Amino acid sequence: MAGRADGVAGGATGRRSHGSRDAGAMGPPYAGSAGPPEGRLPVGPTCRVDFSRPLDFTFLDRQLTGFAGDTVASALYGAGVRIFGRSLKYHRPRGMYSMDGESANTLMSIDGVPNECAETTELRAGMTVHAQNVRGDPRRDIFGLIDRFHLLMPAGFYYRLFHRPYHLWPRFQNGLRRMAGTGVLDPHGEYGSGVRAERYLNADVAMVGGGPAGMATALAAAERGLRVCLFEKRGWLGGHLAWRVREFEGEPLHRRAEALAEQVRAAENVKVFTNSPVTGVWGDNLVTGFTVGTDGDPFRECHWECRAKAVVVAAGCMDRPLVFNHNDRPGVMQVGAAWRLARTYGVRPGKLAVVSGADDLSIEAAIDLDDMGVRVRFVADARESGQQDPAVFAALCDRGIPLLPGCTVSRAIGRNRVRGCVVVPLSGRGWRRYRCDLIVANAGMQPRIGTLATAGARLAYDTHTHSYQPAELPPGVFAAGSMTGLRDPRACEVSGQVAGLRAVQWCGGRVRGALEAVRREAEALSGPVAGCSVRHASGIGRGGKAFVDLDEDGTYKNVKESAVQGFDVPELAKRFGGFGLGPGQHRVAGQNLAMIMADLRGEPVESAMPTTVRPPLVPPSLATLAGPGHDVHKRTPLHAEQAASGAIFRRVGPWQRARYFSDDPTCRDEIRNVRTNVGVLDSSPLGKFRIHGADALKALQRVYISDMSRARPGYCKYSAMCNDMGQIVDDGVVVKEAPGDYYFTTSSARAGSTVEWFRFHTRYDGWDYNLVNLTDVLGSINIAGPNARRVLERVTGDDVSNGAFPYLACRRITLGDGVEARCLRLGFVGELSFEVHAPASYLRYLWDLLMDAGADFGIRPFGLEAQNSLRAEKGHIIIGTESEQRVTLTDIGLGWLWDREDTASKKVGAPALRACAKQPGRMKLVAFRVEEGADAPLDGSLVVDDEEIVGYVCTTRHSEALGWQYGMALVRKAYSLLGRRIHLCHEERRGQRVTSTAIVIPPHFYDRHGARVRS
Amino acid sequence: MTFRLTCPVCGKRDVYEFTFGGQERGPRPSQEEQDAEAHYRWTQFRLIPNEPQEEWWYHGQGCGIWFRTTRDPRTNREVEDGGGTR
Repeated sequence: MAGRADGVAGGATGRRSHGSRDAGAMGPPYAGSAGPPEGRLPVGPTCRVDFSRPLDFTFLDRQLTGFAGDTVASALYGAGVRIFGRSLKYHRPRGMYSMDGESANTLMSIDGVPNECAETTELRAGMTVHAQNVRGDPRRDIFGLIDRFHLLMPAGFYYRLFHRPYHLWPRFQNGLRRMAGTGVLDPHGEYGSGVRAERYLNADVAMVGGGPAGMATALAAAERGLRVCLFEKRGWLGGHLAWRVREFEGEPLHRRAEALAEQVRAAENVKVFTNSPVTGVWGDNLVTGFTVGTDGDPFRECHWECRAKAVVVAAGCMDRPLVFNHNDRPGVMQVGAAWRLARTYGVRPGKLAVVSGADDLSIEAAIDLDDMGVRVRFVADARESGQQDPAVFAALCDRGIPLLPGCTVSRAIGRNRVRGCVVVPLSGRGWRRYRCDLIVANAGMQPRIGTLATAGARLAYDTHTHSYQPAELPPGVFAAGSMTGLRDPRACEVSGQVAGLRAVQWCGGRVRGALEAVRREAEALSGPVAGCSVRHASGIGRGGKAFVDLDEDGTYKNVKESAVQGFDVPELAKRFGGFGLGPGQHRVAGQNLAMIMADLRGEPVESAMPTTVRPPLVPPSLATLAGPGHDVHKRTPLHAEQAASGAIFRRVGPWQRARYFSDDPTCRDEIRNVRTNVGVLDSSPLGKFRIHGADALKALQRVYISDMSRARPGYCKYSAMCNDMGQIVDDGVVVKEAPGDYYFTTSSARAGSTVEWFRFHTRYDGWDYNLVNLTDVLGSINIAGPNARRVLERVTGDDVSNGAFPYLACRRITLGDGVEARCLRLGFVGELSFEVHAPASYLRYLWDLLMDAGADFGIRPFGLEAQNSLRAEKGHIIIGTESEQRVTLTDIGLGWLWDREDTASKKVGAPALRACAKQPGRMKLVAFRVEEGADAPLDGSLVVDDEEIVGYVCTTRHSEALGWQYGMALVRKAYSLLGRRIHLCHEERRGQRVTSTAIVIPPHFYDRHGARVRS
Repeated sequence: MTFRLTCPVCGKRDVYEFTFGGQERGPRPSQEEQDAEAHYRWTQFRLIPNEPQEEWWYHGQGCGIWFRTTRDPRTNREVEDGGGTR
């Protein structure tokens, strides 16, 4: 970047300088030639484009060249592209607008991703760029004819014209969808590629905006030891100073920005995030946003959330659009856009420009553009003469550029690009026509109020600055900089210092003296500058469209129509006419709409309220919101062993668990092996807890529905927990290990919330107990099958015979080389089985030990699906599969667990069970056998009686052991009697309904009397 | 929606770390005197006041205690900064 300060615009230099200045001569070398590339300007001191590094990219089918540092839009504009796309409704050609992504004009499809903002997306080599909402080339769009039929499309036409006759609606809709809209998503497209990261930050001060005020805030806070996160949406710090070359206090403004940026970057406790737009400020000062990755960043986009004690907003200003006829023509752009195109990107915005502004900044821009070689014919100023800064006015006169006070551009001439303009005084009398190829226009500046609005600030119209200003700020939120109406660069900086010190004070720092000093300094400087209240150019609407909202093609006439229909406040007009619904939202059009609406209602302008600001203020990509997508899961200690045995894993709760050990989804071999031989299951995710203390039993009595005083040493007591509605939430076994010391298991799904549950239901009692979650500390292996004991006998010296270790016993045994384990004899799968609970670190050893010991039996692992079939065959329930919100403990046949006598321990769920014990119309869990020859139903098949649905199937499988299809279903009580025939209905593939008949049978059809589990 | 709560053990933390436990409504009533209607009202019936309310929170992602705090549902903020009690 050339560091030259000569030839800059400003009151002090006063020489006519069309083309006479050659700043580029000392800048970086140009690729291939001596001068700047075609369409580009000589390199100035604030240019961020490196002309020595060309980047090739494709636009439609054309090969174009941009340069490193370009955005897609600046590269396109520099390469001569003027029409970037077509508008939503009228298909009017649209071009460069704000260079800040404030409008949908420059939303384009980039590398196949639609709706990318070309104005803010950094150009990369090899990009493929397409225009949107066009057929083929945007210069020759067939739907452009629609523009002529605007009379058919008044405000709200979508709601008013197409609702009758109703059957025509789909046709209209499909037609409209083809013609209107923005980008098109390819259903087979690959979106969201690249790493999406997320960051959670904590700061004392979150600083929104990296302009002079923001940097001053950060420095003031950091100097006093606070940790600051500074978020800047552009790729560099400096705000509006970054591209201004005017002399100020002895140096060009951009130098001041660079000096501040250097200090900020050197400050130890300031973390600077560039390319990081803020999406909103939420409760308790949580600032959210995202960072777009550049070269060297490990991510493509990173979502972040910053929790801060104080939030300072210095988001700056943007141009308020000037509403005039055909203000959307390619070649009409905001002042800031033309200025930054020239100064930041070295792109020539045009050859012969007309500037129409309403503040001194526009005049400064006109002077600067003129100095850079864009001939400015004149500056129309919506303010009356005498309101201009004399120094700026003098500089304009020095260059021989006429000023037309009290005038604005009122019409753009030319269809596909601007060829001229009409200028009319705001009084409406007398017009003149000029030739030009660029109209640089605004109605002054408006603050970026979005961040403050989402933070909860109350905004009110201020008649001095003619902008929305915070009337009331939420606690810990401060505003500073040009958004508060300040224009003097020094005043902006000092306002930042004030905000920084107030943030320090808010965070508890003592800064009273310093704050007083900077406050006095601020008062000595010029305060908020008077704004201009111009709503629109005079004589608009007649014979041309004057757009209030470009994104939704909302014209001044539409706004009027909307008001006439009674939708005369912005919130209503937004819904009716769509103003502010487009990608630009309220941001750029909001204030104009509110001001015009106030006029149309005949009320003073201070009654103008904008529409509600809704986050995200800048849209992040959905892939970024979705997050990095890494699957955070838990693995059991036996993950590798099971994988080696061919396990297919599935996510179950937080765990990855082995579901199958073969490609056969019915798991026939695994099931048969358990029924006839011996299998092992990794049941480590099972919830395992210890509760001990003087009041441990009281806590158990409270949450378990059974009488837990009957839990005894060495034996498992099966019980269940209910919630206050009497629904079963968990089941498991409890073992008394010592007085006041119990070991219990919960279902895997419940393990995570058991502690919360116990403590919640005993929170008033002040009981003395300790609850320890051993789920991850202990692993467990279930050895099941008729040969289970024989395998176990080979690895332990303890007596595991049926006499010494009967069904439902719990013993401490020692396995292999001395691993002590709890061993529980349970029968969930309906066979002789031993569940070994041992420290997780020993589990791999135990697994290998058992597999070796059982090798000659043909021991093999079985998965969750096999377990599911086995337990259903036995009639054992799984909570959430055989139970749901409508059924209680008693409905699913576990009423026998409930200790009805005990009211003293205030069991959770008991009152509800009592209340609905005799309630009619409840659902019941039944077991059924599908009749021979009937089609097999599926899990979830409906139970029907003629046309009426009377229940549904919870689980159904074909049993090899029994030789028939069995299952469990939840049905209305009337259908639950033993021997009753029920009809199961499911849909076959071709949409055909298939009904099978089944008979209700007693539960526990396999091994009904439990001889096998007791063997 | 986001805010912070003051855990009496861990201090001010993001609300993501907590589980809501409902309004403060006193200890579990005795089961003898509770008919079905009373039980239904106790479990299901809530008045949402237009003023600060005392409520229970569980610090599940932290120390694992249940505590009470007074929070204003209109602003989501705790009435007293750091007002949580066990």
